[in-house]
Amino acid sequence: MKKIPLILSTILACALSAQAKLNVVATLPDFGSLAREIGGDKINLVVLAKATEDPHFVDARPSFVVSLRNADLLIDGGAELELGWLPPLLQNARDPKIEIGKPGRVQASQGIRLMNVPANVTRAAGDVHALGNPHFTVDPIIAKAIAQHIAQSFSAVDAANAGFYEANYKKFEAAINAKLQEWGAAMSPFKGQQVVAYHDSWPYFAHRFGVNIDIFLEPKPGIPPSPSHLTEVIAQMKAQKVKAIIVEPFHDRRIAEKVASATGAKVVEFSQFPGGLPGTDSYVKLVDTVVSRLAAALK
Amino acid sequence: MWEVMFWPIVACVLLPWLLVYLGLHVVQRGIIFIDIAMAQMASLGICLAVLFHLDLQSWTTFGIALGFTLVGGAIFSVTGKRSSQIPQEAVIGISYVVAAAAAVLLLSRAAEGDEEIKNMLVGNILLVTPHEVWKCFALFVVVGVFHFILRRSFLLVSFDRDGAYQKGLRVRWWDFLFYAVFGLVVTSFVRIAGVLLVFSYLIVPAVCGINLARRISRRLLIGWVIAWVGGIAGLFLSFWWDLPSGAAIVCTFGAILILISFIGLARHRVRAGAATDSQ
Repeated sequence: MKKIPLILSTILACALSAQAKLNVVATLPDFGSLAREIGGDKINLVVLAKATEDPHFVDARPSFVVSLRNADLLIDGGAELELGWLPPLLQNARDPKIEIGKPGRVQASQGIRLMNVPANVTRAAGDVHALGNPHFTVDPIIAKAIAQHIAQSFSAVDAANAGFYEANYKKFEAAINAKLQEWGAAMSPFKGQQVVAYHDSWPYFAHRFGVNIDIFLEPKPGIPPSPSHLTEVIAQMKAQKVKAIIVEPFHDRRIAEKVASATGAKVVEFSQFPGGLPGTDSYVKLVDTVVSRLAAALK
Repeated sequence: MWEVMFWPIVACVLLPWLLVYLGLHVVQRGIIFIDIAMAQMASLGICLAVLFHLDLQSWTTFGIALGFTLVGGAIFSVTGKRSSQIPQEAVIGISYVVAAAAAVLLLSRAAEGDEEIKNMLVGNILLVTPHEVWKCFALFVVVGVFHFILRRSFLLVSFDRDGAYQKGLRVRWWDFLFYAVFGLVVTSFVRIAGVLLVFSYLIVPAVCGINLARRISRRLLIGWVIAWVGGIAGLFLSFWWDLPSGAAIVCTFGAILILISFIGLARHRVRAGAATDSQ
């Protein structure tokens, strides 16, 4: 019986220390991995989407609402990538701390100049995002900016650990800066080369590393490939001697294989998200992996 | 958990009664897949609205979707002949695949990403809003009263077609009325709960009722109890094990049906045994 107070106090202590940690929810695994770099063990992190899941479509589960309801801080893209599934979740969670404009809401796209902003949004152009292309975290320099934004927001909400978050940001920044040279060197022989992608997720990556990724297996974003479009793509690929087709885990790989066998190109599995490919549990490892895979395919 | 599960539970308490009742009709008529065909017709209408760049939430879009379900109702009431070589289920199946394929064709031209359309057509019971629940409930009450007032004719047409013809009822018109109202109910429930859940609520409680009782009122009562138990149990399981809610409810219904079938079988055995004993 003597043990009971001890057990109770242990439970209480656990509960208190859990309380002391910042409850952070990230919509997508790329934001999650940056939050982990900055927050370390000072945060409880919940990432809603899986790394192998299409970020446009995510199936809601009850725990999503619970996590959002208890969140001190929410990191989302802010560029309509999660448009299909996040708004109803937020509506149900009704957590005032993570409303837009509050310190507890980090919209990663804030302060980032998005590429391919449509001049006028019509439905005829396909599933375009009105604010511009939302797949921006794959550019390491943008990732640094997001990490800094996250660090500032963590510090604003949890001032006691501001020094810790700031130091972690510096560490992340240094790691990226050290790697940028290496990645640039790996990609430099392929400057200006054409690469084909299944979906238009890579303009930021292409811009950073000097390749062209502007032919897509989808005729328009979100529209499945049609025979006539694929015929056109195959002709373009042959004319430009394209060597690589980028697919993500949630795309239909067979279509890419079919085009690859018609053109002699290689299918390269890519992911925007840490954890989407084997051995990519951190952001740096993810960029390492996609850069070396693409370089190997283009050789 | 209440904060998260309250409205889904309210939806699962307030809404299924009408579906269970309509399910008895549908199972009796042997047109099991009509709900999916109707829902697909409605979504074809919405795809057409997308093609013309109409606002998906507007009344025009709703009108087009309703128009398509009425066309579906007309097709099914014309083909549901008294004696035909072609089973009604074949026509329903054909309507479904053609409507689904036509939707694919329309969307490839409309070039709308399918996120919004999927959202519009297929709801998630976990994320229902109070507004949606009350709107749907109000519609169900209206339809329920309508069916209650005209219950004699509707029941006769579904359960005793020959009798209906003999009595001189205009069966085809009653069929059309039934399908039209049915389409309205199905499409509005699909929007808050998804296709899988509509199908389960229509068919599983009705089949359980038929398994255990003969009179319609008994079957209805059994069906209601099962719909409530299955729906609420499914929601609880979905919360405890953190599963997608709609799919959890459907699988709970599957488990309940297996259980009920065993009970039905056991009772049948006992009765058969008693009959041979008394001989």
